[in-house]
Amino acid sequence: MNHSHADAISVAQAARQALAALEGGTPVALVTIVQAPLEDAVGRRLVVAADEVTGTLGSAELDRRAAELACEALAARACGIRELELNGETWAFYVESQYAAPELLIVGAGHVGQALSRFGATLGFRVTVIDDRPEFANRERFPEATRVQVVSYEDPFRDVVVGADSYVVLVTRGHKYDYDSILQLLRREARPAYLGMIGSRRRVRATFEALVRDGVDPARLAQVHAPIGLDIGAETPEEIALAIAAELVAVRRGGSGGALGGKERVLDRVAPARETEQGGK
Amino acid sequence: MDDREIYAAVVRAAESGQRVALATVVRARGSTPREAGSKMLIGADGQQQGTIGGGCGEAVVLEAAREVIETGVARLVRVELTDDYLSWSPAVCGGVMEVFVEPV
Repeated sequence: MNHSHADAISVAQAARQALAALEGGTPVALVTIVQAPLEDAVGRRLVVAADEVTGTLGSAELDRRAAELACEALAARACGIRELELNGETWAFYVESQYAAPELLIVGAGHVGQALSRFGATLGFRVTVIDDRPEFANRERFPEATRVQVVSYEDPFRDVVVGADSYVVLVTRGHKYDYDSILQLLRREARPAYLGMIGSRRRVRATFEALVRDGVDPARLAQVHAPIGLDIGAETPEEIALAIAAELVAVRRGGSGGALGGKERVLDRVAPARETEQGGK
Repeated sequence: MDDREIYAAVVRAAESGQRVALATVVRARGSTPREAGSKMLIGADGQQQGTIGGGCGEAVVLEAAREVIETGVARLVRVELTDDYLSWSPAVCGGVMEVFVEPV
């Protein structure tokens, strides 16, 4: 590993490197001493990338050992406290992995797409919006998006990279465009973290039937979230966008999407043998 | 407010010579309002950006931030959120957080 910069670095310098990573640059781990045998050492930091270390914790040995821990944390995208024993003394570090936020690719710049773009940006996604209508896909309607592109639905993903960190939502104005878009995506090798398509059960079924007819493997359709979103009884475009956003979070964080109140059953612990007023179950 | 916004604010504060403190949840055990990695930036006037959990323990951190800005010395703050419910304290989430507060 190349230790290119062995002077102490400030919070702001570390913040600049974290920002670069968050905007799509090389992922980095920030390492900060939070407990040390020497009080002076608290707050010293390293910034560790896969092949480069900047800053110093005060000694070459400490830097080397901490950088190893940081690389492991970075590989696991972990965040938290790591401890090291060195010459019988304990050091505690806070290690934080920083890497590009996942991308939310919204196909269709209508009302649902517009509301979802706002939710997505608030939830920490880098939002890209595409549509074939310049009067819809523009900066004025999507100020919070990272990118807004006017595309042709014949080849909507020409200038967009869809990878394992992509969350793709198909909310175009017509099922023909949803169909064209999903066919392009399913014919690619790369599998996005999330692929969802709007539409009623009937419309989704017709789309799936056409896709199977066109040679798409049904196993891949099993990974498509359609009809899209969690069941919250959404009616307005904003509510539908919220249902979709909630599903994106559930997929990203591994949640079940159910109500916590039903799952945790707190009342059962408070009153296990509680009987109903009607005289029990 | 995500890490991008907090770190951008850290850079802006440093460039304009403002004295602020960065508070980061570095360890969270039990039921805590935020996870490790949550951040809050506190100005010398007590103004805050971001949150590490609202009522649950934030007052202790704000006090520590004032000291950190004054002394320029970073410190680790332990926040207990295990107050008895009937004390009506905001700190009844049920967990313990360790928050690292450092000068920018």
